[in-house]
Amino acid sequence: MTATVNQTKLRCVVQAATLVAACSIASPVVSAADDLLERGRYLTYAGGCISCHTEDVEDAAPLAGGRALETPFGTFFSPNITPHRETGIGDWSEDGFLAALWQGISPEGEHYFPAFPYTSYTGVSRADGLAIRAYLLSLDPVSKVNREHDLSWYMSSRLAAGAWKAVNFEPRRFTPEAGRDEQWNRGAYLVRHLGHCGECHTPRGVTGVLDRGAEMAGGELGSEKIPNITPHASDGIGRWSTSDIEYFLDFGMLPGGDFAGSSMAEVIEDNTSKLTREDRLAIAAYLKSLPPLESAYD
Amino acid sequence: MQRKSITVFLTFAVSAVLSLQAFADTTPEDAKDYRAAIMTSLRGHIGAASMITRGLVENDGHLVSHAEGLAASAKELDRLFPAGSDVGESESLPLIWEEPEAFAAAIKKLQDATAEFVTAAKGGDAETIGAAFRNVGMSCRGCHDRYRESD
Repeated sequence: MTATVNQTKLRCVVQAATLVAACSIASPVVSAADDLLERGRYLTYAGGCISCHTEDVEDAAPLAGGRALETPFGTFFSPNITPHRETGIGDWSEDGFLAALWQGISPEGEHYFPAFPYTSYTGVSRADGLAIRAYLLSLDPVSKVNREHDLSWYMSSRLAAGAWKAVNFEPRRFTPEAGRDEQWNRGAYLVRHLGHCGECHTPRGVTGVLDRGAEMAGGELGSEKIPNITPHASDGIGRWSTSDIEYFLDFGMLPGGDFAGSSMAEVIEDNTSKLTREDRLAIAAYLKSLPPLESAYD
Repeated sequence: MQRKSITVFLTFAVSAVLSLQAFADTTPEDAKDYRAAIMTSLRGHIGAASMITRGLVENDGHLVSHAEGLAASAKELDRLFPAGSDVGESESLPLIWEEPEAFAAAIKKLQDATAEFVTAAKGGDAETIGAAFRNVGMSCRGCHDRYRESD
């Protein structure tokens, strides 16, 4: 199920990265690289990469792409992000990877459709982006050709993606907000950027752009209504305590002890349950700090 | 302790006999409502146990009662889904009856998890209790994700 790190390859990455000649390298270096990969793995789960880039079938190769994402503009199929040189991202440089993450541009200079949440990932730090890359490159390459998106005619060109981007997007790293504590800023970083919660929980305008003024006031995913998670007492999660939120993100328990299935179940399984408790509490602290809004949908 | 076990045993024995009689003319609606009632009891014990586990409410020995309540209700799950009880406002998905073995395995998971939670609650170690409680939650969710209609 979960992707396993090939230890031999890991050593080689270490070698390449540190220009150390022998394979039996000094342990502090190995542990620094191990830390990098471990952090990259953590961020790959926290960032949801693992969910969207893994096909929704039994025994699917992790991160080899192929998952369908249905949107009002057509169906997108996630690409292969294993280190396969021809079909994956094996040939991508650090800068190429960061350009994809931060600006939605492929190494060939093509614009990605915002189904890939680069509009959120643009806030991800350089260190985190590179840790994710290091982890992805440490995995076994899987040969799997990307499937073409199936889009409405007016979206069927990458130019449309470029035009959309020119109007709706400004690349920008996250900077901690002065006057807020470390926990809040960590939560903001996770919710707005790495975890890209707003991609589902924030409503969109007609062009599909997120309405940042209604952050977390609820959205729609296909036919599913995505809940308002602002602290609004009746429409949102205003009655949830911090530990209610933490428990929900950990294993899906609603306040009061129920366990309701939804598309969030998978997010909990693959992403939020894999976070540290501190990160879940940071998310809770951030969500509780948002202005309480009425739901964006009926 | 001995007396408690006997009481528990007798309670089960008596309710088993009663239930056998009751089931003779149980309608599908009754079966569905009974199932919902047991689910509500599970939810109540989970909610209460979670508050004690999180330290929001004093334990005072009550965690064991809730754990035992969970284990007792979990034991009943096997008989809560008779064929044809998918009626009215039921949230049970047809998959329950389409893959009975997988469903039985999912129930067994909860039964094992709740039994372990009872042991943990009696043991009193906070970390073990937390982990055991999480396991109970995971088995609830595992089943609901697959077999219960989502919102």
